[in-house]
Amino acid sequence: MGVLVSLKFIWPEFMGSAPWLTFGRMRPLHVNGVLFGWLLAADIGLVFYIVPRLCGNQLWSEKLGLFTCALFDTVVLSAVYTTLSGTTQGLEYAELPFLLDVGVTVSWVLFGVNVFMTIATRKHEKLYVSIWYIMGGILWTAFVYIGGNFATMFQKGISQANLNWFYVHNAVGLIFTPFGIAIAYYFIPLAADKPLYSHRLSMVGFWSIAFIYVWTGAHHMLHGPISEWLQTVAILFSVMLIIPVWTVITNFYGTVAGRWDVVKKSPILKFLMAGTTFYLLTCFQGPMHSLRSVSAIVSKTDWIVGHAHMAVLGAFSFFAIGGTLWALPRITGRPIYSDALASRSFWLMLWGGLIYFVSLWVGGFMQGLQWNDTSIPFVDTVVFMRPFWIARAIGGALMYAGIVVFLYLVFRSLGHAEDEAAVAKANPVNG
Amino acid sequence: MIPNPLLKTDRSAMALFVFSLVFFFIGGTLTTLFPALVEDSWSKPVEGLKPLTDQQAAGREIYKREGCWYCHTQQVRKLPSDVARYGWRGTAAPISVPGEYVNDAPHFLGTRRIGPDLSRVGGKYDRTWHLAHFRNPRDLVPGSVMPPFPWIANDPKEFEALLAYLQTLGRARDWRPNHDYEE
Repeated sequence: MGVLVSLKFIWPEFMGSAPWLTFGRMRPLHVNGVLFGWLLAADIGLVFYIVPRLCGNQLWSEKLGLFTCALFDTVVLSAVYTTLSGTTQGLEYAELPFLLDVGVTVSWVLFGVNVFMTIATRKHEKLYVSIWYIMGGILWTAFVYIGGNFATMFQKGISQANLNWFYVHNAVGLIFTPFGIAIAYYFIPLAADKPLYSHRLSMVGFWSIAFIYVWTGAHHMLHGPISEWLQTVAILFSVMLIIPVWTVITNFYGTVAGRWDVVKKSPILKFLMAGTTFYLLTCFQGPMHSLRSVSAIVSKTDWIVGHAHMAVLGAFSFFAIGGTLWALPRITGRPIYSDALASRSFWLMLWGGLIYFVSLWVGGFMQGLQWNDTSIPFVDTVVFMRPFWIARAIGGALMYAGIVVFLYLVFRSLGHAEDEAAVAKANPVNG
Repeated sequence: MIPNPLLKTDRSAMALFVFSLVFFFIGGTLTTLFPALVEDSWSKPVEGLKPLTDQQAAGREIYKREGCWYCHTQQVRKLPSDVARYGWRGTAAPISVPGEYVNDAPHFLGTRRIGPDLSRVGGKYDRTWHLAHFRNPRDLVPGSVMPPFPWIANDPKEFEALLAYLQTLGRARDWRPNHDYEE
């Protein structure tokens, strides 16, 4: 359910001269729309799909689930209005006004209760690795969100900034990462039709991310007005993030090893494995950026924007799309409208993404070098970026075309809704 | 390699629940709550920092509403390039310190510089310059990608408020010789 509704909220980038169309208002709409409107909603939808299947039962309360989705979508729709009208808390990722924050929190608690009750009443004793990530993700999200949206209200200055980056960073690392990984852990073995490569590795991956990730927020402020020891702590832990990432990556590649011929034919695996590769690249960049010497060049440039888009689109959106393509026909009981179209959507997003990422990395890195040469006026470095920004727009347009194709595919695959009973029949418990 | 109690989480949802939270809270409190408690500098204002007047505070609200902080940071980092670039007429800009931000909520430290840093912009340009610049930035800075803000430039109340706020930025440090600040 969440998956379907969420698809309406994918935002392209516009420019305009009316107040509500300026960059300062469109940007938070784009960021919040993609993160909460699309990705979190898609993740919620897929969690509702995955958990009962892994627990061998039904969702604890279908009604509560529907209510949660309705509430969450209302919040997202209201956010479109508040964001464009300039109503903002002025903190990154936490722009939504107080009332909507409460709405998100309530939806989250209801979602958490539903999932935890489903797990508590499970038929299979053993908890698959996806369940760990989902449980961890739900718990961490709750506290990360409260820290970033409510605790910041009582703080000012550097302390608030520190909390803000604790939130911003963990929003990616402890909200979207665990759900993305949970989705990939569930769908990769299914789609490749092979058992998971290593249970032990998945444990190392999970517990290391649970411990390490939360320490890293201050790496957003390297060289800035924040205590040196805190920066050093953030750097150390950022570098250690290599452990949870590489264990997970090894597990995913290990699982599909010997099945690459299947990947070639399956658009689902294409999304999942490209997502895995982008996750590896993103999480290799991350620890590198956190080194003081690298940060002195890339921080505050478009390099970081390229990095963020690779994480959110390249890794986590690809996981969510791959999962959706697997789940959709099993929910509706109708096959995917067209595998060829799914592949086309993949290639558009892949090439669009690559053009987008690479143009911003090259441009951003060079602009960073220019900033460090103070004989170059600032505006010259802006003019220099123009060709890279044009390339970025082309990449973005291709990505968007891929998303439109995917949206069309989803609607065509839905066709006319089947009745509830038929849907249930097509939904074997262990799908 | 993996401690024994953690292996239990394989089957026990309760153990998973507890360990996930414990792990999270160790790092969570040590990096947010703990530094806020031990770092006095975070809450001690720098000498010369004045609370904003009502008009300046109204200007800060406009700065927030229009999302100026998405493109302009407000921090001079320790890097030599920051210090030189955001200085003025040969005088180096002072490195930002936590005490300058104690009244800021929300903070505008920023993460991206599509435009230049503004933490030392106060007093660099006069009213005429800012008015023309908000009408159309490209009239003064060819090549700029900043959007025009006619609805601010054409509203004296909004413009004066925003101007008053911008002129406070960096002034607490009183870093320019002979006080060559514009109003």
